[in-house]
Amino acid sequence: MENLPDMTGYIMQGSKYILPALALWVLLRCLRSMLRERYEPETWAYLVDLNGTEHPVNHWECIVGRSRSADIVLDDPTVSRMHASLQRDGDGDWTLTDLRSRGGTYVNGEEAGAWESVGDGDEIDFAAEATAFREISGAERERLERRRSAPGRSVGPGVTLLILSLFQAFLALEFTVTADGEHLYSICLAFFALMAAEWFCYLFMRTLGRTGFEPETLAFFLTTLGLEVCATSTPEDMFKEVVLILAGVALFFFLGWWLRDLERVKRTRWLAAAAALGLLALNLAMGEVRGGSMNWLELGGFTIQPSELVKVCYIYAGAATLDRLFARRNLFGYIAFSAVCVCALALMGDFGTAVIFFATFLVVSFLRSGSFATVLLAVSGAGLAGFLVLSVKPYIAQRFATWGHAWEDVWDAGFQQTRAMSAAASGGLFGQGAGEGWLKDIVAANTDMVFALLSEELGLIIAVTAMLAVIALALFAVRNAAQGRSTFYVIAGCAAVSLMMVQMGLNVFGSLDILPFTGVTFPFVSKGGTSLLSCWMLLAFVKATDTRRDASFVVRRERRRVRADEREAYPEDYDGDGDYYDEGEEELR
Amino acid sequence: MKKVQRRAGSALLIALLLMAGLALYLVRLADDGGAWATYFTGGSPAGQIVDRNGALLYSSDGQSASFAADEAVRRACYHVTGDTRGNVATGALSQFRDSLMGYSFVSGTSSGKTLRLTVDSSLNAVAYEALAGRDGAAILLDYTTGEILCMVSTPADDPQNPSAEPADGTYINKAIGASFVPGSVYKLVTLAAAIDNIPDLFERSFWCGGSAQLQGITLQCTGSHGSQTIEQALANSCNCAFGEIALELGYDVLLEYAEKLGITAQLELDGMEVRRGSLDWESEDMDIGLAWTGIGQHNDLVCPYALVRYVAAVANGGSVYEPTLLGHGELDRQTELLSAGTASKIASMMDYNVEAAYGEGTFPGLDAAAKTGTAEVGDGTSHAWMTGFLNDPEHPYAFVVLVEHAGGGRVNAGPVANALLQAAVAASPAQADAAQ
Repeated sequence: MENLPDMTGYIMQGSKYILPALALWVLLRCLRSMLRERYEPETWAYLVDLNGTEHPVNHWECIVGRSRSADIVLDDPTVSRMHASLQRDGDGDWTLTDLRSRGGTYVNGEEAGAWESVGDGDEIDFAAEATAFREISGAERERLERRRSAPGRSVGPGVTLLILSLFQAFLALEFTVTADGEHLYSICLAFFALMAAEWFCYLFMRTLGRTGFEPETLAFFLTTLGLEVCATSTPEDMFKEVVLILAGVALFFFLGWWLRDLERVKRTRWLAAAAALGLLALNLAMGEVRGGSMNWLELGGFTIQPSELVKVCYIYAGAATLDRLFARRNLFGYIAFSAVCVCALALMGDFGTAVIFFATFLVVSFLRSGSFATVLLAVSGAGLAGFLVLSVKPYIAQRFATWGHAWEDVWDAGFQQTRAMSAAASGGLFGQGAGEGWLKDIVAANTDMVFALLSEELGLIIAVTAMLAVIALALFAVRNAAQGRSTFYVIAGCAAVSLMMVQMGLNVFGSLDILPFTGVTFPFVSKGGTSLLSCWMLLAFVKATDTRRDASFVVRRERRRVRADEREAYPEDYDGDGDYYDEGEEELR
Repeated sequence: MKKVQRRAGSALLIALLLMAGLALYLVRLADDGGAWATYFTGGSPAGQIVDRNGALLYSSDGQSASFAADEAVRRACYHVTGDTRGNVATGALSQFRDSLMGYSFVSGTSSGKTLRLTVDSSLNAVAYEALAGRDGAAILLDYTTGEILCMVSTPADDPQNPSAEPADGTYINKAIGASFVPGSVYKLVTLAAAIDNIPDLFERSFWCGGSAQLQGITLQCTGSHGSQTIEQALANSCNCAFGEIALELGYDVLLEYAEKLGITAQLELDGMEVRRGSLDWESEDMDIGLAWTGIGQHNDLVCPYALVRYVAAVANGGSVYEPTLLGHGELDRQTELLSAGTASKIASMMDYNVEAAYGEGTFPGLDAAAKTGTAEVGDGTSHAWMTGFLNDPEHPYAFVVLVEHAGGGRVNAGPVANALLQAAVAASPAQADAAQ
């Protein structure tokens, strides 16, 4: 070692500029791959009209009508704007529901009500517009599938992951210079474990024949930053952090696999709602007060934040399939459920999470109803509730009073915000180096002020890249909405990314005195076990929206129409074609 | 599906809000980043402050600070350097913390920068010693560049061993942070207004019988000067003549010139706000009040900095490079205070003052132009003032010296000014070397 006395300086100087470049490179590659690649819709069946025009059925849930916003537009004056809905269930059976149209809907001459079963060759009349339903054969579907482009052709996910690994390697290298000797080993091991985990995921996906890896790459990028935060602030917790990351990834796979089966999901939505309410009730009954809010629960030696897990249940229960969107009753049920959740959180004093839930509620209820009136009603109701909270909880009112005036009270109310801003500014664009900051020693630096901690140690570029990574996930989910199979996946995906963005906004801008300081976590980056687990689970919802060919393991490949009678004889996804045999299926099951 | 797909775009509204918030943060960061970054670094930020010759005034590794080795220099430079406790708000340690810590938007903070000031610490020490324990202030600057070579305020403290109970006024840099009754030095300001507004000023003769009656109230003069030209009236510092001029000009013109020449304007020294001077006359103060206002008494208050800035403009042909402690990277923008013609008339009259009234012995061997002031404070004592400049392209120095409650201007402020000028002239070859 005596021969290399000057290396440390070179390492710190070099990696200082290399890290932001690699981070941006990873982000840009993911963005390009997610947003620039061609997205072609899947095709499931056709409606053939009398002229012989084939109207493709591109989703599992379609609205047939005259309106331009219908999925299948029939341009006949007798057809109602929203005439009927055509839905496919997870087993591949199609049903037709008349949406109280004026001219009525007829299947093979008989008037259709709700859940009328339709199959290949059936004649469907939408008022005066006569069509035939033609389902796609397995061979034709294969042919159509092959024409769709799969992700990973123009931007190789493996290369992106390689760049991310390089980023992690340089970060670990910086720690070899700055970290205490006693923690050095565990820090390096943790980064190595993270690399191993991401490559295992990648190779596992490849064995499943799935090539879309951008959301995971972004999540692993953010998790890397989370590992940096842990390494600099609490290096003694590295082992725990890695275990949590692995657990998060495992839960991601589990929930993703669970979401594959839409029927199963539909059946269990009420369970998720019950779990959400149960967790909140448990929290209210046995919760522990930490840092002003009672959102901690001690269970068998582990402390968890139930409100973090409720987020996942809340989205799971809140998203809905198309048929449910037409019943007002369902929306009111959802509003009541949301109100209970938000009130429970307010009671706990977890004001930040209540705001996150409320924002997510707004997004979901807008996606479900499309009605600004409902949303406005909710906002005014929440405004009233917020006013109540402010008057009941003095410490929250205090935070509002400090908002925008942090520098006037640097030793009390503005303590954290001013430290955060000072540290963030001192990092410049490239940072002082991993482990070289002073903010890490301030309480809650690794959770509430994590944006500032990143800015100080890794620089503004990487901190902003972290924000952009979350926004990229959102762009991805929104773009995928066009090709979603079911509204459930679209709503859940959009709700998950909205939740992440709101949470990130509150975290970042709260610490920078642009919003009131609420003390919520930065998705994937902030230290906090339950939060990390819930973020990985939320990612599964994003993954479920990706219907590009062979992109996402959450989206099942449907090669051939499997008839109900055949299902007895063959495994569900066996299609007799070796090339397309879904190898991972058995493992996942 | 399509409906939901369209609604999905609403999630992007959140993304938009995030970007707006981020933009707001970046703007604030670009504006205030330096102040944020240096806020919590304590009183002794890492780095060095040196004077124009490279002599160390302050040095710190971020933990412990050390100042100049010589205690006299430490005290003389107390207000320029500042202290580690932040008591001297106008000190470089407080004011120029950003540059000392090397903050920049791109690279954040980088410790250990060296900040070079334009002052010559040995000149400060000379001025400090010449003030000899009396309260006051002195500034000497190069009127061709605006660089401040000497800035001293007393009483001062030793930043290395701060006193627990410092004398009143220790934390104030009186050269820029306080204003005083100017007395007769203010006649230079009234004179500028007179030259511009009284066409036959130089043809007139001013009568002084030792006092004058204004609406039945006596205006006392320093002597009985008889019939004088304006040059002689300034050299005699004749109250009768300047009282007459003030009445003729009127309060509005006096105010206008006070503002225009920077006496009552809000001036800045390297971003620091300088104490504003003030005039205050009401009609119930009657003519006698207006006459005294023109003579630098009544309610007049002037900051030494504003006065030397004005005198520098007089010496420099009517315009001035704004004074600086950090140096102007490039000399580009002068502020015009008065016309070149007016400036040269005032300059030659100040020359005449030294020649005719103060005597060549006041500044032996120097071609100096000056004006004294003996400002009655109201408690029976007087502040001693001396301001002026050297008519020497090799040594283009303008100066102001104030000794509080010291008595006559020439006798008390004069020797301090002379000591300072002599040292500055003697030191200038070294200064020239340093500049190269």
